Amino acid sequence: METAPLQGAATTKPWREGTEEPFVRIGRVTKKFGDFTAVNDVSLDIYKGELFCLLGGSGCGKSTLLRMLAGFERPTEGTISIDGQDMGQLAPYDRPTNMMFQSYALFPHMSVEKNIAYGLLRDGMKKPEAMEKVADMLRLVQLEKFAARRPDQLSGGQRQRVALARSLIKRPKLLLLDEPLGALDKKLREETQFELVNIQETLGITFIVVTHDQEEAMTLSTRIGVMDAGEIVQVDEPPAIYEHPASRFVADFIGSVNMFEGHVTDDEPDYIRISSRDLGQDIHVGHGVSCSMGQRLWFAMRPEKMRLTREKPEGVINAFPATVQDVAYMGNLSVYRVKLRGGRVLSATRANLTRHEEDGISWDEEVWVSWGDTAGVVLTQ
Amino acid sequence: MMRRSPVLLTVCILGFVFLYAPMVSLVIFSFNESKLVTVWGGFSTKWYGELFRDPQILQSAWISFQVAFVSASLAVVLGTLAAYVLMRFGRFRSRALLTGMVTAPLVMPEVITGLSMLLLFVSLEQFVGWPKGRGMTTIIIAHVTFCMAYVAVVVQSRLSGMDQSLEEAAMDLGARPVRVFFDVTLPVISPALVAGWLLAFTLSLDDLVIASFVTGPGASTLPMVIFSKVRLGVSPDINALATIIICIVALGVAIATFQLRRKK
Repeated sequence: METAPLQGAATTKPWREGTEEPFVRIGRVTKKFGDFTAVNDVSLDIYKGELFCLLGGSGCGKSTLLRMLAGFERPTEGTISIDGQDMGQLAPYDRPTNMMFQSYALFPHMSVEKNIAYGLLRDGMKKPEAMEKVADMLRLVQLEKFAARRPDQLSGGQRQRVALARSLIKRPKLLLLDEPLGALDKKLREETQFELVNIQETLGITFIVVTHDQEEAMTLSTRIGVMDAGEIVQVDEPPAIYEHPASRFVADFIGSVNMFEGHVTDDEPDYIRISSRDLGQDIHVGHGVSCSMGQRLWFAMRPEKMRLTREKPEGVINAFPATVQDVAYMGNLSVYRVKLRGGRVLSATRANLTRHEEDGISWDEEVWVSWGDTAGVVLTQ
Repeated sequence: MMRRSPVLLTVCILGFVFLYAPMVSLVIFSFNESKLVTVWGGFSTKWYGELFRDPQILQSAWISFQVAFVSASLAVVLGTLAAYVLMRFGRFRSRALLTGMVTAPLVMPEVITGLSMLLLFVSLEQFVGWPKGRGMTTIIIAHVTFCMAYVAVVVQSRLSGMDQSLEEAAMDLGARPVRVFFDVTLPVISPALVAGWLLAFTLSLDDLVIASFVTGPGASTLPMVIFSKVRLGVSPDINALATIIICIVALGVAIATFQLRRKK
């Protein structure tokens, strides 16, 4: 991924060493609304300076968890502490956190300047001093010219930056961002992602970002917590989430994947073989997996890790004949939908490396789909 | 340009004629020289002069204005509080019942409201000694009770359309709930407060039935005076009075509309 250099937002990785005290501790938190359990027994440690993404589909409980950190909701069970301080019954206005809302929640009757100054003035700061800080902040988010405007006179991207400035002005220990880029169009979203990471690095504030956009999570975060049905299903660094998903849900949710269901037919210390009804022959996995003979499991194959060739590749065990059904040209790459002999349709991508590929693989061609013996992931749940 | 259907045009014209013909004739006849309301006797503004020399009308207009002003203001305060509690205190027991009860005066026949108010005031005077006798105070109290319901409905709809994260954002930035209400909630719902106030003011100014029940000697409102005058035969000065009222209302609506549009 071209955004790889950003993924070292925190230069150290305290979650790997386990020596540093976590900055935010969420301990066995459950939140129920009547009979509905929105967040179910979630425990999570987040370290100082992290940009942590909570990723999940709508209704997975990620926003509820964020609102509990901000103090708008109280956990039904469990504890939350920030910087060693128990949040317990603390009201939102007493917490060392600030939040950037999905709707931005800019006060419509106040100018940009007054919106940003609001938090400082509520803390009893004198007006001249507050205005000085506001001016600094406006410079940081490049909105100096818009200080006197009202929110409804700004574009979406400008509003987003005002909301960010307002939530940063008090230098919170922890900044909570609810879908911070959700309302922006694609181009602006990409630019803003980098800006957000830069600001986070400049200020050194710990960020927790809620998003349903996996690309956004990948680009921004030091670590991602994937949520499903109120539970955290995997917490890891972005490359690990992508390359080593812990379950079928994560593999499927992050990126696209071809999933084969099968059972173990050969279980050796240095390789296993999986038989799947979709494929005419067994899948060969070139490393040991802790499983037993005959066990049901799933084999996940990313589209970009498969190769498409006209000739059967030499020396590759996992090669399957197929027919090209569809080709979608995306510019930087092409997505092929190929039909295996058994009828199963897979998607495979090819990078468009040259500008003129007259003899590229096309519709209705007979091809071979192949992959290396460590290219896929074996999932047992 | 699209051709307009002649049927639609006719219906439209008829509708407006239906709405405005009575008012237009009233305005025209207010400039009538003749003492007979229905016979045109030439142009004159004498009834306007007559009107301003009639102490009874001037006094009742002043009373009506005071009553409307005070009761609209009180109704806005109480109605807003009621709406805020119903919208923001989450789900509590009997919320549906209370919501229904707040809006009940909207559908209550005025005669019943007036009668019940009268009974209340009589027994209050007997047992508590307040309000002493009936007059402007009792009219104001009675008007507040039914105007408040209108204000509550208007404010409630505005509150339900308001993005609640505005209030959360203020709280998140360090404002305590009371502060949040005055800094954020109130400014955001202010158009509804203005609308509610205007509505309450008009309703109070307009009310004849309830006021007749709860009034006392020396506190006749304008509608009561007009009504009693008309019963003795329509006199042309009432036309003049009505014309003035129409002008004031039209001016008020125009200013309010203009202000709201400029704010946007």
